[in-house]
Amino acid sequence: MPDITLAMQGISKSFSGVEVLHQVDLNATGGEVVALLGENGAGKSTLVKILAGDYTADSGSIDISGEVHSTLNPLSARRLGIRMIYQEFQDAGSLTVAENICMGRWPRRFGLVNWSRIRSEAAAVLEQMGVDIDPSVPVGTLRVGERQIVEIARALADSARLLVLDEPTAALSHQEVERLFTWVRRLRDSGVAIIYITHRLDEVYELADRVVVLRNGDVVLEDATARVPRRALVEAMVGRDIGEVQRPADLGFATLGEPALELEHLHLDDQITDVSLSVRAGEVVCLYGKIGSGTTQVAEACFGLRRPLGGRMLLGVHEGAPRGPVDAIRRGVGYLPPDRKREGAFLIRPVAENLAVSSWGQIGVAGMFVTKRQEEIAYNRWSRPLNIKAADPARQPIATLSGGNQQKVILGRWLERHSNPLILVEPTRGVDVGARREIYASIRKMARDGKAVLVVTSDYEEVVQLADRALVMSRGALVAELTNDMVETQALINASGG
Amino acid sequence: MTVGPTTSALETGAVPPTRRGRSVPETSALIFVLIAMCVFFAFRSEFFLTADNFINILVSASVIGIVAAPATLLLVSGQFDLSVGSGAALIGVVMAWGVSQYGVPQAILLCILTGIAIGIVNGISVTIIGINALITTLAMLAILHGLALVLAGGQTLPLPDFGGIGNARPLFNIPVPVFLFIGVTILTSLAMRFTVFGRSMYAIGANPVAARLAGIKTGRAVFIGFILSGLAVVLGGLILVSQLGAASPQAATGLELAVVTAVILGGASLAGGRGTILGTVLGVFILGVLSNGMTLISVDSFWQQVAQGCLLLLAVGFDQFRLRLAGKSR
Repeated sequence: MPDITLAMQGISKSFSGVEVLHQVDLNATGGEVVALLGENGAGKSTLVKILAGDYTADSGSIDISGEVHSTLNPLSARRLGIRMIYQEFQDAGSLTVAENICMGRWPRRFGLVNWSRIRSEAAAVLEQMGVDIDPSVPVGTLRVGERQIVEIARALADSARLLVLDEPTAALSHQEVERLFTWVRRLRDSGVAIIYITHRLDEVYELADRVVVLRNGDVVLEDATARVPRRALVEAMVGRDIGEVQRPADLGFATLGEPALELEHLHLDDQITDVSLSVRAGEVVCLYGKIGSGTTQVAEACFGLRRPLGGRMLLGVHEGAPRGPVDAIRRGVGYLPPDRKREGAFLIRPVAENLAVSSWGQIGVAGMFVTKRQEEIAYNRWSRPLNIKAADPARQPIATLSGGNQQKVILGRWLERHSNPLILVEPTRGVDVGARREIYASIRKMARDGKAVLVVTSDYEEVVQLADRALVMSRGALVAELTNDMVETQALINASGG
Repeated sequence: MTVGPTTSALETGAVPPTRRGRSVPETSALIFVLIAMCVFFAFRSEFFLTADNFINILVSASVIGIVAAPATLLLVSGQFDLSVGSGAALIGVVMAWGVSQYGVPQAILLCILTGIAIGIVNGISVTIIGINALITTLAMLAILHGLALVLAGGQTLPLPDFGGIGNARPLFNIPVPVFLFIGVTILTSLAMRFTVFGRSMYAIGANPVAARLAGIKTGRAVFIGFILSGLAVVLGGLILVSQLGAASPQAATGLELAVVTAVILGGASLAGGRGTILGTVLGVFILGVLSNGMTLISVDSFWQQVAQGCLLLLAVGFDQFRLRLAGKSR
C-alpha cells in the first residue's frame, strides 16, 4: 500500500454558536511527523477529533490519499487506517495486554474468540518492538509508560497508516519518553504519517519535521521545524511577545517565619524511605521530580491520604501525621490535587459553591446552616485578588469556566479556609499560558502574605518561576536542594536524573 | 487540551447554561404534563374534578411522597434505597405484633428502632463495607420481606385501634397523612438547601472524590441519608397499616418502584449531584394523578403496572438524554 496522504481543507467547526475552528488546513504525508501546537482551547483536539470521526465538521473536506470525504465516522476513519492515542487512556484496564493489543479485531475460530492466536499475535508485536511486557497481565497493573507502549503496539498491530498522538508524554518518565520517541520515529520511517500534539517545545524540535500552530481556531504558523526559532513558536502560540522563562525578581529573598510544614525522616513505602524537608511561613518551596519520583506520595501523606510508616511530621502547630483529609484540613492544610476534573472540581455545581465548600462550617450559622448568599460573599472575597472571571458565580456551573479559572476557584477554596500550609500539586496542569502567569503571581503573593507554600510539580519551568527554594526528588529520595540563582532549568533537569 | 473547545468559547463571552436556565423549563415541563393529565382525565371522567377525588389523590400520594423525600436526598448523593417497600410492610407487621404484645407507645418505639436499624444496616454496607447501593438495598428488600412474613407467620395481622394517623381528618376535612407529607417535604427541602449536610449530599453526588478531598465527611453524610430513609419508611409504614387497619407482609409492594420513578421524573439524576424536592413532589403528583385517573376510566390495574414501568424507563431515558447533552456542551 502506498504511503498515506492527508489533506484537511477549510475545516470549520462551531459549538453552540462559537466558532472553534475557522477554515483550517492540515496536511500530513506518510513518513513525516507533524507537530500540532497551540494553547488550551486553540482547537487542536477538536481538529483531530474531526479526523477521527468523533466530531463532524460544519464545512470543509478531508482528502485521504486522493479520496475526498466530506465527513468521517469512527468506523470509516478506522478503516482508512487512522488511529488515535489520546492522553487519557482508551484501553480497558481489566483486560490483558494481549486482549488490548488485539481489541476490536479479535481473531476468531468457529465463530469463537481464538485466545491462543490473540496471545501469540500480541507476543509477536511486543517482541518485534523489543519490549519486555507480559502479554497476559491486565493492563491496569502496568505503569503509565508501559500502558502507552501497549497503545503503540495496538496501533502497530492494527497496521495504522496515520497515527495521532495527543500529548502522549504528559505522564511519562524520561526513559519512557525516549522509548516512545524511538517508536514514533520507527513508525514514521516505515511510512506512517504522524500528527503529534504537544505543549512541550523540546519535543517539537526533537521529533517533528513540520510544525503547525493553531491559535483561536486559526492556523497562525506552518513551516519546517528547522526553520522556526523557538521564540517565534512561542509567540505564535501565545499571540504576543513573550520572554524566555525568567525568574521573577521577588523570588529567593523571602522574609521567613516559623516552619509550618516539617517532615523528618518520613518513611512511606519501599521506595520512599527517608524524606526530610521544611517549609516556613513566607516562602514557596517547590518539590520537583518526574512522575514516579515519589513527590506526589509525599504530598498525599501530608494531607492524610497515605499513612506514613515512620518519621516525624509537623503541620501548622500540630505534631503527627493526619488521619485523613478532614483531620488534615482541621490542622490547617490546604491541598490542591493534581487532577482538577477528577479530584478538585464539582463540575456540575456552581462556581461559588466550589469555592466555599470547605468553609461551609465557618461561613454559615452554627456550623450547620449555610446559604447561597454566604457562598457568594465568600466568592466575592477572592474573585478580585485571584482574578476569577465568572458571569454568574452563584448559579453558573464551574465546568463552564476555563481550566485556569477553575484552578483559581480551587485555590480560593483554601484561601477562604485560611489554610496554612498550602500543598499545591501540579497547580497549572491543563492551564494556558496567560492564566498560568496569574496563578504564579497569586501563589507568590500568598507566600508573601505569610503562607507556607509547598508546590509539588513535574514541570521545571514552573519551578523556575515559582520557587524561593527547590527540592529535587528522584526515585523516592531527595537528591538536591537549589536556592536563589541556582534554581534554573538545566540544574533541575540534571539533578532529577536527566 | 481535554477541556476542549468550549474553554475558548466561554472566554469569548458565550452565555453559559446556568442552573436557572436549565431547571426552570424542567419544572415547568412537569407542571405542564401534570395539568395536561388533569385536563385529559377531567374530560374522560366526571368524578375526577371533585374535592373528594383530589383528597384521594393527595392521600395516596402521601406515603410515596414521604418516602420520596429522603430518597431524593439519597439520589442527589448518588445513592438509592430499594428496600423501602418491604421495609414499610415490615414496619406494619412490627406495629401490629407490638400492639398485640405490649401496647401502642411501645410498638411505635419498636417501629422507630426497626427503621433506624434498617438504615444502619444499609448505611454500614454501603459506606463501610463498600457494597454498592443497588445490591445492598436489593438484598435488604428480600431480607425485610422475609422477616415480615416470618413475624406475621405468613398471615395478615389485624390492627383495629390504630386508625388515627392514617384516617383522622383534623383540619379542613384533610386527612393526617397529607399534613405529614407536607411537613416532611418542607423539612427535607429546607435541609437540602440550607444545611451543611444537605449541601454536602449534592457535592458528594457531583464528585465523591473531590468531596472527600474538600473535607466533607462523605461516609457519614451518606450514612445519615440511609437512616433518614429508614425513618421515613417508619412513618410511611405506620400510615399504611393505620389506613388498612391490618398489617400484611405484602403491603407496599412496589413502593420502591413508585418512589424511584417519582424522584427521577422530578429531575434528580441517577448520576448524582442534581435534583430538588419540588421536582420530586411534582413527580409524585404525576404518578398519583396517573394511577387515580386510570382507575377512574377503568383501566385494568395490571395495565397500570405496565404504565408505571414505562414511566420509569421514560424518566431514566430522559435523564440519560440530558446527561449526554450536558456532556456535549462541555
